[in-house]
Amino acid sequence: MNKKVLMLFLAIASLGLVSCNSNDDETGIVIDGIDLTSDVDCCSAEEALQVYRFIQTVHIIPELSTSVDGKYDVWAYTKTGTLHRGYNDLYFVVTKKKSGNYVKNFNIKNVTPLMHMVKMDMWHSTPVGGTFEVFDTTRPAVKRGWVSLLMNTSDAGNWQFSYDIEVLGSKGGVEKQAINVEALPEGQDWLKNFKVGDDTYFLSLVNPSDWKTGTNTIQAYISKKSTPATTPYALATETFTIEIDPRMPDMGNHTSPDNVALTKQQDGSYTGTINLTMTGLWRIHLTVKDSKGNIVAGGDDLKDGFSSLYWDVTL
Amino acid sequence: MIGTLLLAILSPSDTIITSSHLIDEVVVVSAAGEGRKRSVKGLAASIDEHLAELSHVDLVRRGSYAWEPVVNNMATERVSTTIDGMKIFYACTDKMDPVTSYVESSNLQSILLNSGLNGNPQSTGNIGGSLDLKLRKAGFGGESLFSSKTGGLGGGLVVGHETNGHLQVYGADGVVSLPRFYTNVGVFYRHADNYKEGGGRKVPFSQFQKVNVYDNFGFRLTEEGNDVVEGTFIYDRASNVGYPALNMDVAKAEAFIASLSYRHQFVEGFLNAWETKGYYNHITHVMDDTKRPDVEIHMDMPGKSWTSGLYSLLTGTGGRHEVQANYDLYYNRLFADMTMYPGGAAPMYMVTWPDVGTLNTGLAVNDRISLTGRQTVTLTAKWAMQWQRLNNEEGYYALRVFFPGMKDSYNQTIGRIAATYQLSILNSQLSIGAGWGSRAPTVTEAYGYYLNNTFDQYDYIGNPRLKNESAVELNCAAKFSIFSSQLSISLDANAFFFSNYIIGQFENRLSPMTVGAEGVKVYGNLSHATMVNTAFTADWKLLPWLTWNTRLSYAIGNDDVGKALPLISPFAYTSGINCQLSSINCKLTVKGNARQVNYGKKYGETSTPAYAIVNLSGQYAFHLHGHALTLRAGVENLLDKRYSTYSDWCDIPQKGRNFYTNLSVSL
Repeated sequence: MNKKVLMLFLAIASLGLVSCNSNDDETGIVIDGIDLTSDVDCCSAEEALQVYRFIQTVHIIPELSTSVDGKYDVWAYTKTGTLHRGYNDLYFVVTKKKSGNYVKNFNIKNVTPLMHMVKMDMWHSTPVGGTFEVFDTTRPAVKRGWVSLLMNTSDAGNWQFSYDIEVLGSKGGVEKQAINVEALPEGQDWLKNFKVGDDTYFLSLVNPSDWKTGTNTIQAYISKKSTPATTPYALATETFTIEIDPRMPDMGNHTSPDNVALTKQQDGSYTGTINLTMTGLWRIHLTVKDSKGNIVAGGDDLKDGFSSLYWDVTL
Repeated sequence: MIGTLLLAILSPSDTIITSSHLIDEVVVVSAAGEGRKRSVKGLAASIDEHLAELSHVDLVRRGSYAWEPVVNNMATERVSTTIDGMKIFYACTDKMDPVTSYVESSNLQSILLNSGLNGNPQSTGNIGGSLDLKLRKAGFGGESLFSSKTGGLGGGLVVGHETNGHLQVYGADGVVSLPRFYTNVGVFYRHADNYKEGGGRKVPFSQFQKVNVYDNFGFRLTEEGNDVVEGTFIYDRASNVGYPALNMDVAKAEAFIASLSYRHQFVEGFLNAWETKGYYNHITHVMDDTKRPDVEIHMDMPGKSWTSGLYSLLTGTGGRHEVQANYDLYYNRLFADMTMYPGGAAPMYMVTWPDVGTLNTGLAVNDRISLTGRQTVTLTAKWAMQWQRLNNEEGYYALRVFFPGMKDSYNQTIGRIAATYQLSILNSQLSIGAGWGSRAPTVTEAYGYYLNNTFDQYDYIGNPRLKNESAVELNCAAKFSIFSSQLSISLDANAFFFSNYIIGQFENRLSPMTVGAEGVKVYGNLSHATMVNTAFTADWKLLPWLTWNTRLSYAIGNDDVGKALPLISPFAYTSGINCQLSSINCKLTVKGNARQVNYGKKYGETSTPAYAIVNLSGQYAFHLHGHALTLRAGVENLLDKRYSTYSDWCDIPQKGRNFYTNLSVSL
């Protein structure tokens, strides 16, 4: 697979080393391997620089990268270059093969991870964030969405990934690409489910690996299992509240003060505040309430006095 | 508590200290000044044993090593400790290493105590008092304190043994003392195994070991000798120190202390001397719980403290005035963290002192005014400013959980002012004094993070929003001598009226971190608190060779609602008979405490029962082949009583019967 050799970067205008390169574009920005000559479909030099910088913070997933019509390269990224059980941010960037510059307008659709349960020979999907969109206007050529994978790859089952892409009128995508999903290490459990009646809901905790000792924003999504199960699970339309009780089981269930329950935001996510007094294993006990305040999941006091529904996060 | 007063007044030749009931000194090494306070064990005594001789001073024991001095019933937070004017700050969040533990007897000439707000010029935040550990400097030829009065080469040896805990003491030092150069260097070593409490049961984890190396030196820059450069270097390392009152021990407590000073002596005019000293010290403290059985979670808790500073002291005498003016500046950094290792799971880490940098600068003026031959007024004042910054981000963000609006830097202004009036008429002395002073919260009080206190079993969290604590002090003393000065009686009292008294307060909302802890306390200000210390002393010269002295003391400490504060001494007494027959000195002492009635129940303290013990000591000074030798021997806790005092952390028992002997030789 292509490596990102095409992207070596130097911004050296101020050093007076600007050659008579047409990349110059008045701004003095030079990105190795990218022709920054004005192209309405692509980023300006400043935008390209922002995108380029962002790309340095993530890693390519080769299995999900492809090309369209021989004209465009499609690059998929996650933070680590792999997928793991639970919530994963997924980023897409499209470059023109000719110039190497980033295309601003493209659409990612129908992202469908499917798991094959080997024993029963059954297939099911997993929670997927609705649409893949620009998440930061300074980087108009990066689209973000997420998948929350129910299980890791094992003898019991394995994953296939599909999506469609539309770039400046050309269509393409990835079809049933086998991909490995890693397990999370001991002490990390970021995806839980609960049932209300016959409906199954999934609680995906967003990127707790970014947390630090102190006050953190805690974000999660609640998705509802689809029928048929091979359709990606969309966000639940109901409104819940997720109350949290973070505890350190190794420290006599030490807890922290002033945690704020997660409530539904306009973008469909649930956001609250979690305070972590130190590093180590935090078990975040959950109580999920419906819009009327009735407990629908967790909040049962087991013999240790805590909810049986919890996320585990190790800092 | 006013043996001080008597001692000071009975020895008019004493030029180091002024005669005030607010000042006390214990001599560690000195051939001169008989009649001044010293430990019955001489140089072989530990710093803690020397400190115990001082009036107003008690010691909090967490083991048999590194006791925490308490002055006027106030501990480290309210007491300033300096080494020859140098600031030094302990590095253990659990107060296992009061800075007095980083020096050794052989480093010191004496320990000087200023009671209350009447602090020495370098001290800041000294509401309870200030201790200055005076270093032993050999001095230039002809001024030597050692047997060789004409200078040249000299030295000394000390060897000691105590049966209880098999304590061994070995010390050696050498002196070169010439008219323009001197140096004294020495090594000291102590080793102790677990001691036995009264009744013979061993107290596990009460062992320790300590090595100390030091050097003092001085040069005269000119023939006249009015310009002197002096330097100090001390390396002190305690290892394998047990703390029976705590859950863990200390693998290493290490200090490096260095200073260089320049002194100009004025020959004529108002000014006497101008001394400027620059110094640096750092402390590394490493706790260790690996030797304890049944440790639920193994922890690493290292702490670091380093301080760099300078002071410049100008002294002058003119007319009725004896003036000292001092400028000082220091910068201290304190960092401590804790890593806990639950079996198999991920380690848990927290910063317990968030690398706090403190820059403090102050100006002090003391003036002793002789109004008439009989009346003296002493005025002392200090003003200081302090800037603090939390340099560790992780620790800062952790504290912000509890104090969301807190900043990463703070500054404080603190000061003190005190005046004493003294009157001598016939055979009596009267003294009254008053003062006001404030102190900034300590790093533990302002930024400490889940510091477990085994005394009340609470985890303590600092509070960056604390106000400065301040106190008004009133003190008075009276001494009467009757029967041609055969009997002297003294009374001494002081009272402190605090505003914004800082103490840990219950915070039921918070969950403790330490497994087994009762809960969490957050430091807070009490609107007011009161502390009163009183003492009565009687010295009776029954016969020319026989004296009897008695000291009784009583103290009260109350919080804002009149409840007793913790760690306030109950009624205490000491009574001793001393006989001096030519070169032999013997002493029989009875000392004890009454039952602790007013104990800080609200603050987790329990009452300590009464006790009384008997000590016997003897000393014989003689010459052998031209060398001066002193043999000291005695027995402590003769009746092998099992007891603990109010200041024994978690009521750990004191030593049972203990025979000691030591020999010091001047070469």
